[in-house]
Amino acid sequence: MARQKLTPGLDALLAFDKAGVRMPRRRRRKGDGRRQRLRRIAGEVKRDEVWRLRHATFSVEEGESVAIVGGRGSGREALLRLAAGTLVPDEGTVRRRLGVVPMIDVARSFVRQYTVRQNIYLVGGLLGMSPEAVTESLGEVVTFAGVESILDKYLGTTPPVIRQRLAWATAMSTNARAYAIEQVLIVGERDFRQQCWTRVDRMREDGVTFLLASDSPKQFRRFCDRAILLDEGHVVAQTTVPDAIARLRALRRADRPSPDEPDDSASGPTGDDQ
Amino acid sequence: MLVLRDLQKQYTKFRLGYLWTLLEPLGMSIVLWFVFSVLLGARALGLQPYLLFLSVAILPWWWFTKGIAASTRVFRRAGGQLRISLLPTEIWVLRVLIVSMIEFLFSLPVIVVAMIVTRTWPGPLIVLFPVAVALQFVLMYGLSLLISAGCVVIPDLARIVRIVLRALFYLSPVLYSISNIPEAVRGLAALNPLVGVLGLYRIGFWPEEIEDAYGYAVSIGLSIVILAIGMIVFRRTEPRILKEA
Repeated sequence: MARQKLTPGLDALLAFDKAGVRMPRRRRRKGDGRRQRLRRIAGEVKRDEVWRLRHATFSVEEGESVAIVGGRGSGREALLRLAAGTLVPDEGTVRRRLGVVPMIDVARSFVRQYTVRQNIYLVGGLLGMSPEAVTESLGEVVTFAGVESILDKYLGTTPPVIRQRLAWATAMSTNARAYAIEQVLIVGERDFRQQCWTRVDRMREDGVTFLLASDSPKQFRRFCDRAILLDEGHVVAQTTVPDAIARLRALRRADRPSPDEPDDSASGPTGDDQ
Repeated sequence: MLVLRDLQKQYTKFRLGYLWTLLEPLGMSIVLWFVFSVLLGARALGLQPYLLFLSVAILPWWWFTKGIAASTRVFRRAGGQLRISLLPTEIWVLRVLIVSMIEFLFSLPVIVVAMIVTRTWPGPLIVLFPVAVALQFVLMYGLSLLISAGCVVIPDLARIVRIVLRALFYLSPVLYSISNIPEAVRGLAALNPLVGVLGLYRIGFWPEEIEDAYGYAVSIGLSIVILAIGMIVFRRTEPRILKEA
């Protein structure tokens, strides 16, 4: 359990201290797998790692809602995973006083061959709930996601929308004091979205902490007290939400004139790998 | 606790095929028995009755192969689940191990069938059977930790493991008994931790089988050493494993 170790005496809920993480580069550049391998053997492409996040230093107080503003590949997911402890920093430290629940593409963790009920147990378990706790909150999850009628059907047959709802409902049922939310989770029908946001609002009033990464400025404006602007894995600024959004737009505009560097500009600085 | 539930989920897939868990090793035992005992008439190989001799070792061997083979791909299969999992990472390894063990336990009736067919009954030393299971579990857990972590760092390891498993089948006393090995190399052969494990399984039926404690000592010692190494290596590679998700 070392990676989610809690630091009880911490003055903030979450503290990043010069934290950084290297990830293996995932996106393929050109050609198929075989060609890639040949290139690697030829030394053309190194199987290298990219700093997804570097020297990130910030802290989050309890009850805050923080927007993680940044484009694709700016290190949002790495930051959220570090916060929740499902990733271990390669440099610096990440300390937390309370457990942070990662809501990062939860729907992808569902298993199609399991029934809806089994999936709730599975994902609840992954998120750190005991079987009894899941049983207790099962009713709530089921109503929230609206899956009463298909509770014992296999998930493979249900539409993606339902899966998203289920993901959201299950994650929310953990009753944690802090969440790290990735934008992919925030989809679905409008009604349901509304329902979710009402829930989030209520939880915020209760003093639950949120880290929210999204592509939607609207959501940021509505839900976040302040923002952390990420660019190429660096924390560029910690400002207000509108300011961060404006600056992100400016960054994007500045990036546009050089589209011939395919992924590099988006995935962080290279060449400084040790 | 969580492992069990995780397992239960995994298990729904297997229940349908329960009959196969029985038929597969049974068929395998019969084929091997037919080849070695009837066709080749190799009386010197192993102990009598050969059918029982085979099946007692083949079931644990299958557990071993399946568990180890599964551990080479745990983290590739875990995928997105690893990204949100707040559980200790070792659980993924433990899970495939337990699944394969349960399969093994469910296939035990095959031994009973072999016992009835050959009308041979175990002696009092059969109480060591659970000990053998426990020892194999420890050994496999250590190896699985090592291999699952290794496969993340070096993907090619999965293939090497497959070849090694193949070789190990013939190097371990599954088809033969340790007493079939020439004295000269017996000490060397006993370095294989499976020798002691398989010996413990068989001792209930053939108490005269292995009298020297050497093989058992090696097995127990090596299992613990491998477990320790596995745990250290796994701890070290954990950040890498998480990144693969």
